[in-house]
This record gives sequence, structure tokens and C-alpha cells, in this order.
Amino acid sequence: MTTEQIDPENWRLTFPEHEAAFIINVLARLGRQYQEDPKEMSPGLRAFWDGNITKGTAANPKELGELADAQQLLVEARTELRSQRLNLVENWIQEYELAETRDPWQVEVSSAERDELIAMLNDRRLLLAFHIGVTESDMEKDPSHIPDEARRHAILEIDVLGHFILVMLGPQIHRP
Amino acid sequence: MAKPGTEAAPDIDVENKLKEAFARGWQVIVWNDPINLMDYVVYVFKTVLKMDEAEASKHMWEVHQKGKSSVALETREKSEMLVHRLRGFGLNATMEQAR
Repeated sequence: MTTEQIDPENWRLTFPEHEAAFIINVLARLGRQYQEDPKEMSPGLRAFWDGNITKGTAANPKELGELADAQQLLVEARTELRSQRLNLVENWIQEYELAETRDPWQVEVSSAERDELIAMLNDRRLLLAFHIGVTESDMEKDPSHIPDEARRHAILEIDVLGHFILVMLGPQIHRP
Repeated sequence: MAKPGTEAAPDIDVENKLKEAFARGWQVIVWNDPINLMDYVVYVFKTVLKMDEAEASKHMWEVHQKGKSSVALETREKSEMLVHRLRGFGLNATMEQAR
């Protein structure tokens, strides 16, 4: 995959055929995860999606009340986010299906669309990590040395998606 | 309408509480996790918090080495909005009232 800034607000992303197919497969899986009914989710997954507004201990009842309201707003915002991202996933898949050429597959996107794609690929990384319970030491291991096949595949996918994210961020990384 | 000279005195207690609330503010805290890439975290701080490269890197390293970093001190509403946006990018962000 390559990324090229066409102008200050627009980017061209170019995927070789196999990478395009991989990304679309990832987005399709992500779409199914975005549309999962919260009532059907395991408590852990539900907590993952809802998020916690605070880890602190409220000092007084007023602060406690404010945090309860803020928690409710966070849950609503996260539900809305999943719905918005499901629409974006569907748009990406439709764009791919309608493409005249898929080798390479070229897409021109705004900065906002690129940011959302990066965030969605990161969602997939986080969800994979959540499902298999990835730790810091797992991420430091060579994935090929992980004996459990499902775990090895999940960590490989997390790594590969991390690579795509870094390629997309490439022009913006200025590490000293 | 109150006659001149008979206006209600400003509620000093309310004013003080408001001043105190603004002075204390709400901290936005980002917590370490094993998945988000360092460069990605820097990018999110720059995008959401409008930090420059140096400041974003400083906070990213603080998250990585100390387990968390306080990345903003704002009103409750602004802190909530920042937590929503940071979480939208997959960072583990929370808020708490500054002590």
C-alpha cells in the first residue's frame, strides 16, 4: 500500500490487489462487529464498547452525579459512533465493488475519511486483542513462535493492520 | 424590577463555587495499553488535542512509561468531548475532577 497527499485536504491510497482484498475482508468483519446488538454482546464486549468515563473515585455526590451523566452520554456517543462507522464500512465496500480496476485499487479520500479509515482499522486491532486477551509481552513476541493457531493469526492480523496504519500516517510521522 | 439600591446582593457563595469549579477543572487522562502504536498515539494527540509534535511525543512517552498521562485540563463539557473523541480513535481515555 502507498499513500500520497494530493493536496492539503485530500489523499490517494493505492492498494495492490491482495492488500485491497485483505482490507475489504477486514472491513466486512468490522461491519458485522459494528452492527452487533449490544443486548447480544458478552458483558466484557459490552463494557469494551461502552467505555468508562472515569477510573477515579468521585469526591462528592455532585461530582458522582456529573460523572454518571457523563457515563450515559459516553455510552450513547459510542453507540452512535458504531452506527456511523458501519455506514462508512458499507461505503468502502461499495466503492471496492464498483471499482473498474482493483489491481491496483486506487481510492481518493479526504483527510477526514482517511482519519476514519485509520481509526476503524485500529478498532479491528483492539477488538482482536480484546477477544484473545493480548498482553504487552504478546506484542513483543515473534508471532510465528506463538503455538496456538487462532492466537497467532489474531496477533499477525494486529501486526499487519498496524503496518497499514503506519503507512497511512507515514507523511505525518516526524520522529526525531 | 428592584428599586435602585435594593438589588439583591450577588450570591457570593455561588460565585465562589463557580470560580472553584473552573479553577479545578476536569483532567483528561490517557492510559497505557498494549495495542495502540506509539506513532498512532502521537498522531491522535496531534489530531484531537492539537498538540505539536514535541508535546504529543512527550505525553505519548509518559503514557508508555508511567502508565498514564494527563493530556488536558478543561471544563467538564470540553473534557467529555475530548474523552469521546480520544475513545473514538481507540485510546483508553477517562476524566476526573482535578484535586
